[in-house]
Amino acid sequence: MHHDPLSATLFALADPTRRGILARLSSGEATVKELAEPYDMSLAAVSKHIKVLEAAGLVTRGKDAQYRPCRLEPKPLVAVDAWLGDYRRFWERSLDRLAEHLETMKKSSRRRPR
Amino acid sequence: MMPQTMTIEPLSADEPILVMTRTFDAPRELVWTALTTPEHVVAWYGGHGFENPVCEMDVRPGGRWRHVMRTPDGVDVAIDLVFVEVKRPERLVWQHADHGEPRRGGHPTSVMTITLEERGPKTLWKLVTRFASFADRDAALGIGFTHVLAEGVDKLAEVLRRLSAS
Repeated sequence: MHHDPLSATLFALADPTRRGILARLSSGEATVKELAEPYDMSLAAVSKHIKVLEAAGLVTRGKDAQYRPCRLEPKPLVAVDAWLGDYRRFWERSLDRLAEHLETMKKSSRRRPR
Repeated sequence: MMPQTMTIEPLSADEPILVMTRTFDAPRELVWTALTTPEHVVAWYGGHGFENPVCEMDVRPGGRWRHVMRTPDGVDVAIDLVFVEVKRPERLVWQHADHGEPRRGGHPTSVMTITLEERGPKTLWKLVTRFASFADRDAALGIGFTHVLAEGVDKLAEVLRRLSAS
């Protein structure tokens, strides 16, 4: 479905349950059962979300045959955040300055009504 | 008064877009003028500490926006853009002039759409950034990678909290 890593990452991040799972995994490994606890959904539904995260390379599963604990793989997230961060900071800075400039413009348009 | 800040909407599952919004305490016509007139654009583009020695805008579909932004370190960044759609005072669409060509560094090739909506005496600014080429985007994502890794896992946890809160 997604031919490049980044769109797979963005797709995986677009769901609140999957973001919640990633947030939980950021504090350490967890089994599917543990990950499912906060959610009012079946283990199968949670497993499906985890499969999407696995496909995006955001989660890997351990080798323990019984539990196969899930682990966060931060690399794809870091890639998204690096670009987002630069872009976001550019616009945050620019818009703060724009807000100030608009105040100046408002004052001068009051002085010089057109 | 609450300080106005920029908001990033949750990432769309269906489209490769990024949506940012901010409200300005100014009428829409004034915001439009500030966005489309070089004498005003040079005042805000890049934010504090940035200068804009070149800003030439031919604000009509197909018109060029030639821009040079100078960073606080004195590095000049040339930005060559082209307007795609101009609907005063509510909609402005532009993209990189080399759209679709392989890029080396800088922002990924994308189409940017600003819409301005009247909110009483205020104006809602909305920027939709639509990625055109995943390959370009990936290339651009490589930049800053080590920088973020250097900031370590705390930074990552913060990202995750933000993502899960959105």
